[in-house]
Amino acid sequence: MIELTLQTLSFLAAALLVIIGMAGMLYLDNLIKKLIAFTLLSDGVNLALVSLGYVQGGIVPILEPGASLSDFPNEAALIFGPGIVLTNIVIGVSTTAILAALIVILYKRYGTLKASKVLKGEHE
Amino acid sequence: MNETITNLWSIPLLIVIPILTAIVVNLLYNRGRAIRAVSIASAAVLLVISLVSPYGFQWFTGQPGVTYDGTYTFNANVFSWKLSLEYYYGPLQQIMISVMSFLLLFVVAISTKSLKKNFGPYIALMFLTYLSAAAIMMVNDFYHLWIAVEIGSLLVAGLVAASGGGAAQKAALKYTFFSALSGSGLAIALALILGITGYANITDAINSVRINDLSGMYNVLYVSFAFLMLSWIYAGGLAPIHPLKSDVYRSAYPHATVMLQTQSKLTLVAIGLVLLRMFGTLPFAREAMLSISILTMVIGIVMALIQTDFRWILAYLIVSHSGLVTVGISLGTFRGIVGGLFQAVNDVIYMSLLLVCCEMVLYFGRGTSIKFSGGLAKRAPLLTVFVILGTLAASGVPPFNGFQSELILIQAALEQGLPEVAAVILMVSVSTFIALFRAIYSIFLRPGDELQQGSERFKLPGTTLMFLVALVAITLVLGIYPQLALNFLTESALKVVFVPWVP
Amino acid sequence: MGSIDSLYDKIKRHVVAYFTGNGYTDASTGYSAGELQAVVFIMVLAAMFRIFMIPLGIVVILVAAIMVLHFAPVIRVIERENSSDLNRVLFWVFVYFSVIVAVTLWGR
Repeated sequence: MIELTLQTLSFLAAALLVIIGMAGMLYLDNLIKKLIAFTLLSDGVNLALVSLGYVQGGIVPILEPGASLSDFPNEAALIFGPGIVLTNIVIGVSTTAILAALIVILYKRYGTLKASKVLKGEHE
Repeated sequence: MNETITNLWSIPLLIVIPILTAIVVNLLYNRGRAIRAVSIASAAVLLVISLVSPYGFQWFTGQPGVTYDGTYTFNANVFSWKLSLEYYYGPLQQIMISVMSFLLLFVVAISTKSLKKNFGPYIALMFLTYLSAAAIMMVNDFYHLWIAVEIGSLLVAGLVAASGGGAAQKAALKYTFFSALSGSGLAIALALILGITGYANITDAINSVRINDLSGMYNVLYVSFAFLMLSWIYAGGLAPIHPLKSDVYRSAYPHATVMLQTQSKLTLVAIGLVLLRMFGTLPFAREAMLSISILTMVIGIVMALIQTDFRWILAYLIVSHSGLVTVGISLGTFRGIVGGLFQAVNDVIYMSLLLVCCEMVLYFGRGTSIKFSGGLAKRAPLLTVFVILGTLAASGVPPFNGFQSELILIQAALEQGLPEVAAVILMVSVSTFIALFRAIYSIFLRPGDELQQGSERFKLPGTTLMFLVALVAITLVLGIYPQLALNFLTESALKVVFVPWVP
Repeated sequence: MGSIDSLYDKIKRHVVAYFTGNGYTDASTGYSAGELQAVVFIMVLAAMFRIFMIPLGIVVILVAAIMVLHFAPVIRVIERENSSDLNRVLFWVFVYFSVIVAVTLWGR
């Protein structure tokens, strides 16, 4: 039985967000809703990345003067997760901006936001 | 070993010059001639830098490798922990980036001539696409790899959307939705690899996987392999993403497709080599890569056969020939990797030749559909010669360059005891000829309605003629004297097979 | 209609149409070439399973032959699955991803 720690719960929340995001991208027909689903997905991934670095009862990973060098690796939260998240947020924002711009252009051209009408495959 | 012992000067220039050019051409609003001058000059500078640059590293921490006893080493062949985000410029990078710079130079020259409206942002996107591909080719750490792939995919969407038209915008939107998915996947792969090994540097990560006992963590390694593979498939346009990628190729202007296909071939090579170096020893990893490559080749060529538009045929052929590149890499042997890398170089060149010919068909005001066209051979005989030469090169007919690389690939497949793969490669090159010649016959050779459209000869623009002649010359030179390119590629292939922790 | 007939019929229709000009379009040559190529590719790739076990290779070739005859114009199936419809591509990506993870984990 997996113990329900804060980290497990946070992973579960991340998985839920990713699943909601994927389902939204697959099943919702409105392009704006698809975009919102994508942001949920991206938030889920970010949450998972932050949770990866969680250490129970851990400290901020900054080595302060006088701190014990031997305990530091065991106690410090892992730094790379938040590091990646920062970049991922920036990338997410730019992707969202491009998606939103394209959706606006396509709405002006086709007069509808329905993915089933706008994004139909070429061979159908 | 002629690698420099300090941070190499050329690597930052290859990254910074395209960014600066992109900013400057954006500022030169509506000044066509200034934009043309600036962009051609900067593309020429990039070509010169990539040709004359020595080999070496760029370390973002400013320090070289750290050996076991705590001293620094500058020698790439001595075991050391790099501990830094790094770029590497070697023979493989040199030939790939030089070829790309050469293409950029002419693509910029052609597009600034043929586009009428304010095209500053468009040229800026072209330079940034170059930047992303160069960065992907040079990086030796997962962090920069991830960012370069992300930037690259957004730029592809931008370049396609800038080509105008509803189909182009739709293709761009679909492609960007997937970039969201694969980008998240790549971020997770990066986090998992960092979690297992503790290193962002690819060399260090490979060392760590080989030295440390990872039993119990192999499942995590496999999941990260799958995510990294997903981004490989996405960025390179392998099956099953190929319908989106072929949409992208055919709805952009053909000269933009030259840059797009170059970028995706370089991405395929770079991420493919990372996959091979990092996960090549895992059971079934290379087999998974090989099956996706074969599937891409087969589906791409079959779809190319049934298309009725020259642009669509070229788009699917580019997809199919991406499979040829990755087949070589995923075979994982020395000969296979050399063949794959050489195929990437050749492919980029002859596909550019065909794409520029396609652009000229459009430029002459003719449609590229094979149903309602014909008779172009009489009015543009020179273009007909170029397009037939391009077809011969693409279908692997000697003495053109396609023949040499496909021969190496077939030998590599046979060496591995996989005659079926060799047969598939052979069939792909034959079908390439069939698919292309259907279009060439219909557009160029079939008697057309000359009476309706006049009979005066079409004249090729000077820059385009120069570009076409240069491309044909390169295909011939590489076909007759392949050592010219192979000398650059063998060292990298040897490193991947025998010392995978050296970039 | 029997499945063997449909492939034969398909090719015959193209050939007859080609010579008589009845219903012939530029597309149909491509489709017949694509159909034949696709069948050959499938058979060759089915033969690859001999690497694991020769009897397995034989069985897979037979199964592939039956499947090809059943889905007779294979090119139509490939074309339909090749649509650039967003959701269809998304579906195939999920399938690929799970197959890659499953196969590599199983291989261990």
